[in-house]
Amino acid sequence: MILIHCPYCEQDRPEIEFTYGGQAHIARPHDPAALTDREWETYLYIRANPRGLHAERWRHIHGCARFFNAVRDTVTDRFTVTYKTGEARPDGGVA
Amino acid sequence: MLEIAPLAKSGADLAVGTKPHIGAIIGRPVTLSPAAPHSRWSLRARDPALLGSALGRALPDRIGTVLDGIARLGPDEWYALLEAGTALPVLTGLPVSVVDVSARALGFTVSGEGARLALERGCPLDLARLAPGSATRTVFETVEIQVWPTAPDAFHIEVWRSFAPWLWHALAEAIV
Ligand SMILES: [Zn+2]
Repeated sequence: MILIHCPYCEQDRPEIEFTYGGQAHIARPHDPAALTDREWETYLYIRANPRGLHAERWRHIHGCARFFNAVRDTVTDRFTVTYKTGEARPDGGVA
Repeated sequence: MLEIAPLAKSGADLAVGTKPHIGAIIGRPVTLSPAAPHSRWSLRARDPALLGSALGRALPDRIGTVLDGIARLGPDEWYALLEAGTALPVLTGLPVSVVDVSARALGFTVSGEGARLALERGCPLDLARLAPGSATRTVFETVEIQVWPTAPDAFHIEVWRSFAPWLWHALAEAIV
Protein backbone atom coordinates (compact mmCIF):
# COMPACT_ATOMS: atom_id res chain seq x y z
CA MET A 1 0.00 0.00 0.00
CA ILE A 2 1.20 3.52 -0.80
CA LEU A 3 1.90 5.79 2.17
CA ILE A 4 0.95 9.42 1.64
CA HIS A 5 2.45 12.18 3.77
CA CYS A 6 -0.31 14.39 5.16
CA PRO A 7 1.04 17.92 5.62
CA TYR A 8 -1.47 18.60 8.41
CA CYS A 9 -1.01 15.36 10.39
CA GLU A 10 2.73 15.46 9.57
CA GLN A 11 2.69 11.68 9.20
CA ASP A 12 2.90 9.07 6.46
CA ARG A 13 -0.55 7.50 6.36
CA PRO A 14 -2.06 4.62 4.39
CA GLU A 15 -3.50 5.46 0.99
CA ILE A 16 -7.02 4.22 1.77
CA GLU A 17 -7.48 7.01 4.32
CA PHE A 18 -7.38 9.47 1.39
CA THR A 19 -9.57 10.43 -1.53
CA TYR A 20 -8.49 12.04 -4.78
CA GLY A 21 -9.74 15.55 -5.56
CA GLY A 22 -8.67 16.30 -9.14
CA GLN A 23 -6.16 18.80 -10.52
CA ALA A 24 -4.88 21.39 -8.03
CA HIS A 25 -4.58 25.17 -8.33
CA ILE A 26 -7.75 25.75 -10.35
CA ALA A 27 -9.33 28.96 -9.09
CA ARG A 28 -13.03 29.51 -9.59
CA PRO A 29 -13.58 32.64 -11.75
CA HIS A 30 -14.69 35.61 -9.64
CA ASP A 31 -17.41 36.61 -12.09
CA PRO A 32 -18.65 33.56 -14.04
CA ALA A 33 -21.28 35.64 -15.87
CA ALA A 34 -18.51 37.67 -17.53
CA LEU A 35 -16.95 34.59 -19.10
CA THR A 36 -17.49 33.35 -22.62
CA ASP A 37 -18.86 29.84 -23.03
CA ARG A 38 -15.40 28.69 -24.13
CA GLU A 39 -13.74 30.16 -21.00
CA TRP A 40 -16.36 28.57 -18.75
CA GLU A 41 -15.91 25.23 -20.49
CA THR A 42 -12.16 25.51 -19.95
CA TYR A 43 -12.66 26.19 -16.24
CA LEU A 44 -15.12 23.33 -15.82
CA TYR A 45 -13.72 20.58 -17.98
CA ILE A 46 -10.28 21.17 -19.46
CA ARG A 47 -7.55 19.54 -17.39
CA ALA A 48 -3.82 19.02 -17.85
CA ASN A 49 -3.64 15.19 -17.91
CA PRO A 50 0.18 15.09 -18.08
CA ARG A 51 2.34 12.03 -18.42
CA GLY A 52 4.64 12.67 -15.46
CA LEU A 53 4.43 15.11 -12.58
CA HIS A 54 0.92 16.35 -11.80
CA ALA A 55 -0.19 18.75 -9.04
CA GLU A 56 -3.44 17.47 -7.62
CA ARG A 57 -5.76 17.79 -4.65
CA TRP A 58 -6.07 15.01 -2.12
CA ARG A 59 -8.23 14.83 0.97
CA HIS A 60 -7.24 13.01 4.17
CA ILE A 61 -10.89 12.19 4.65
CA HIS A 62 -10.47 9.35 7.18
CA GLY A 63 -7.83 11.27 9.13
CA CYS A 64 -7.74 15.00 9.70
CA ALA A 65 -10.38 15.41 6.93
CA ARG A 66 -8.44 18.23 5.25
CA PHE A 67 -7.81 18.89 1.58
CA PHE A 68 -4.17 19.44 0.65
CA ASN A 69 -2.13 19.39 -2.54
CA ALA A 70 0.34 16.84 -3.83
CA VAL A 71 2.71 16.44 -6.74
CA ARG A 72 2.47 12.89 -8.05
CA ASP A 73 4.05 11.17 -11.00
CA THR A 74 1.24 9.75 -13.11
CA VAL A 75 3.57 7.13 -14.59
CA THR A 76 5.05 5.69 -11.38
CA ASP A 77 2.31 6.77 -8.93
CA ARG A 78 5.11 8.16 -6.74
CA PHE A 79 4.28 11.23 -4.62
CA THR A 80 7.21 13.65 -4.78
CA VAL A 81 5.84 16.27 -2.36
CA THR A 82 2.66 17.16 -0.45
CA TYR A 83 1.84 20.66 0.81
CA LYS A 84 -0.91 22.60 2.52
CA THR A 85 -3.84 24.18 0.72
CA GLY A 86 -3.03 27.78 -0.21
CA GLU A 87 0.69 27.19 -0.57
CA ALA A 88 2.38 27.50 -3.95
CA ARG A 89 3.56 24.37 -5.74
CA PRO A 90 6.99 23.82 -4.12
CA ASP A 91 8.77 22.29 -7.09
CA GLY A 92 7.88 25.20 -9.38
CA GLY A 93 6.29 22.94 -11.99
CA VAL A 94 3.17 23.69 -13.97
CA ALA A 95 -0.03 21.62 -14.36
CA MET B 1 -24.42 -10.52 19.61
CA LEU B 2 -24.78 -6.80 19.16
CA GLU B 3 -28.07 -5.09 18.45
CA ILE B 4 -29.09 -1.45 18.30
CA ALA B 5 -32.50 -0.21 19.41
CA PRO B 6 -34.22 1.25 16.33
CA LEU B 7 -35.44 4.48 17.91
CA ALA B 8 -32.54 5.39 20.17
CA LYS B 9 -32.49 9.05 21.14
CA SER B 10 -29.30 9.08 23.15
CA GLY B 11 -26.27 6.95 23.83
CA ALA B 12 -28.06 5.46 26.83
CA ASP B 13 -30.77 3.98 24.58
CA LEU B 14 -28.32 1.99 22.51
CA ALA B 15 -28.64 -1.68 23.32
CA VAL B 16 -25.20 -3.08 22.70
CA GLY B 17 -23.83 -6.52 23.30
CA THR B 18 -23.25 -6.72 27.01
CA LYS B 19 -21.06 -9.78 26.99
CA PRO B 20 -17.39 -9.35 26.15
CA HIS B 21 -16.03 -11.57 23.42
CA ILE B 22 -12.95 -13.32 24.73
CA GLY B 23 -10.54 -15.25 22.56
CA ALA B 24 -7.10 -15.17 21.05
CA ILE B 25 -5.36 -14.29 17.82
CA ILE B 26 -2.23 -16.26 16.86
CA GLY B 27 -2.22 -17.58 20.42
CA ARG B 28 -2.33 -14.15 22.05
CA PRO B 29 -5.35 -13.37 24.23
CA VAL B 30 -7.75 -10.58 23.23
CA THR B 31 -10.92 -9.29 24.83
CA LEU B 32 -13.46 -7.31 22.82
CA SER B 33 -16.02 -5.53 24.97
CA PRO B 34 -18.52 -2.70 24.71
CA ALA B 35 -17.16 0.44 26.38
CA ALA B 36 -19.09 2.28 29.07
CA PRO B 37 -21.42 5.03 27.78
CA HIS B 38 -19.65 8.31 27.08
CA SER B 39 -20.53 11.91 26.49
CA ARG B 40 -19.25 12.80 23.01
CA TRP B 41 -18.80 16.26 21.51
CA SER B 42 -17.68 17.50 18.14
CA LEU B 43 -15.78 20.77 18.50
CA ARG B 44 -14.90 22.99 15.56
CA ALA B 45 -13.10 26.33 15.48
CA ARG B 46 -10.55 28.20 13.39
CA ASP B 47 -9.02 29.69 16.52
CA PRO B 48 -8.06 27.05 19.12
CA ALA B 49 -7.41 29.70 21.78
CA LEU B 50 -10.94 31.06 21.42
CA LEU B 51 -12.48 27.58 21.65
CA GLY B 52 -10.37 26.64 24.64
CA SER B 53 -11.18 29.76 26.60
CA ALA B 54 -14.89 29.55 25.72
CA LEU B 55 -15.01 25.97 27.00
CA GLY B 56 -12.75 26.68 29.96
CA ARG B 57 -10.61 23.71 28.98
CA ALA B 58 -7.12 23.21 27.67
CA LEU B 59 -7.04 21.74 24.18
CA PRO B 60 -4.37 19.42 22.79
CA ASP B 61 -1.93 21.23 20.53
CA ARG B 62 -0.75 18.67 18.03
CA ILE B 63 -3.06 16.84 15.62
CA GLY B 64 -3.41 13.26 16.81
CA THR B 65 -2.87 13.93 20.50
CA VAL B 66 -5.23 13.84 23.49
CA LEU B 67 -5.52 16.12 26.52
CA ASP B 68 -8.05 15.50 29.30
CA GLY B 69 -10.39 13.46 27.11
CA ILE B 70 -10.23 15.79 24.10
CA ALA B 71 -8.47 14.68 20.92
CA ARG B 72 -7.31 17.00 18.18
CA LEU B 73 -8.50 15.30 14.98
CA GLY B 74 -7.58 18.02 12.50
CA PRO B 75 -6.48 21.65 12.16
CA ASP B 76 -9.93 22.95 13.12
CA GLU B 77 -11.54 19.89 14.68
CA TRP B 78 -11.50 18.34 18.14
CA TYR B 79 -13.46 15.42 19.59
CA ALA B 80 -14.33 15.20 23.27
CA LEU B 81 -14.82 11.77 24.79
CA LEU B 82 -15.95 12.46 28.34
CA GLU B 83 -17.58 10.67 31.21
CA ALA B 84 -21.28 10.00 30.51
CA GLY B 85 -23.41 12.96 31.56
CA THR B 86 -20.66 15.54 31.23
CA ALA B 87 -22.05 18.64 29.51
CA LEU B 88 -20.05 21.33 27.77
CA PRO B 89 -21.25 24.92 27.93
CA VAL B 90 -23.75 26.21 25.38
CA LEU B 91 -21.95 28.92 23.44
CA THR B 92 -23.67 31.64 21.47
CA GLY B 93 -22.30 34.49 19.42
CA LEU B 94 -18.87 32.95 18.97
CA PRO B 95 -17.31 31.56 15.75
CA VAL B 96 -17.06 28.07 17.23
CA SER B 97 -19.20 24.94 17.00
CA VAL B 98 -19.84 22.70 20.02
CA VAL B 99 -22.20 19.85 19.20
CA ASP B 100 -23.35 16.95 21.37
CA VAL B 101 -22.83 13.81 19.27
CA SER B 102 -23.19 11.32 22.12
CA ALA B 103 -25.66 9.14 20.23
CA ARG B 104 -23.66 9.17 17.00
CA ALA B 105 -21.05 6.62 17.98
CA LEU B 106 -20.42 3.60 20.17
CA GLY B 107 -17.24 2.63 21.94
CA PHE B 108 -15.53 -0.75 21.96
CA THR B 109 -12.56 -1.78 24.03
CA VAL B 110 -10.04 -4.13 22.48
CA SER B 111 -7.50 -5.26 25.05
CA GLY B 112 -4.97 -7.94 25.74
CA GLU B 113 -1.66 -9.09 24.34
CA GLY B 114 -3.18 -9.61 20.87
CA ALA B 115 -5.22 -6.38 20.76
CA ARG B 116 -3.03 -4.71 18.15
CA LEU B 117 -2.99 -7.85 16.00
CA ALA B 118 -6.80 -7.97 16.05
CA LEU B 119 -7.06 -4.36 14.86
CA GLU B 120 -4.36 -4.89 12.25
CA ARG B 121 -6.66 -7.43 10.60
CA GLY B 122 -8.56 -4.50 9.09
CA CYS B 123 -6.67 -1.32 9.94
CA PRO B 124 -3.74 -0.34 7.70
CA LEU B 125 -2.38 2.29 10.08
CA ASP B 126 0.95 1.63 11.82
CA LEU B 127 -0.61 1.05 15.25
CA ALA B 128 2.77 0.32 16.84
CA ARG B 129 3.51 4.05 16.55
CA LEU B 130 0.26 4.96 18.29
CA ALA B 131 0.99 5.37 22.00
CA PRO B 132 -1.42 6.19 24.83
CA GLY B 133 -2.03 9.94 24.75
CA SER B 134 -2.68 9.88 21.01
CA ALA B 135 -5.90 9.37 19.07
CA THR B 136 -6.76 9.46 15.40
CA ARG B 137 -9.43 8.77 12.86
CA THR B 138 -8.63 5.93 10.50
CA VAL B 139 -10.42 3.02 8.84
CA PHE B 140 -11.10 -0.62 9.60
CA GLU B 141 -11.67 -2.25 6.21
CA THR B 142 -13.99 0.41 4.76
CA VAL B 143 -15.53 1.61 8.02
CA GLU B 144 -14.32 4.84 9.57
CA ILE B 145 -13.22 4.47 13.19
CA GLN B 146 -11.30 6.41 15.79
CA VAL B 147 -8.50 4.66 17.64
CA TRP B 148 -7.65 5.84 21.15
CA PRO B 149 -4.86 3.75 22.71
CA THR B 150 -5.45 3.62 26.47
CA ALA B 151 -2.52 1.36 27.41
CA PRO B 152 0.25 -0.38 25.43
CA ASP B 153 -2.08 -3.33 24.78
CA ALA B 154 -5.53 -1.71 25.02
CA PHE B 155 -7.46 0.42 22.54
CA HIS B 156 -10.71 2.33 22.73
CA ILE B 157 -12.46 2.27 19.34
CA GLU B 158 -15.12 4.79 18.37
CA VAL B 159 -17.43 3.77 15.53
CA TRP B 160 -20.59 5.33 14.12
CA ARG B 161 -23.49 3.35 15.48
CA SER B 162 -24.87 2.08 12.17
CA PHE B 163 -21.46 0.52 11.45
CA ALA B 164 -21.07 -0.84 14.99
CA PRO B 165 -22.72 -4.27 14.53
CA TRP B 166 -20.59 -4.95 11.45
CA LEU B 167 -17.38 -3.86 13.21
CA TRP B 168 -18.21 -5.92 16.28
CA HIS B 169 -18.69 -9.05 14.21
CA ALA B 170 -15.62 -8.36 12.06
CA LEU B 171 -13.44 -8.03 15.17
CA ALA B 172 -15.07 -11.01 16.86
CA GLU B 173 -14.35 -13.03 13.72
CA ALA B 174 -10.65 -12.18 14.02
CA ILE B 175 -10.58 -13.24 17.68
CA VAL B 176 -11.19 -16.96 17.86
ZN1 LIG C 1 -4.16 14.47 7.80
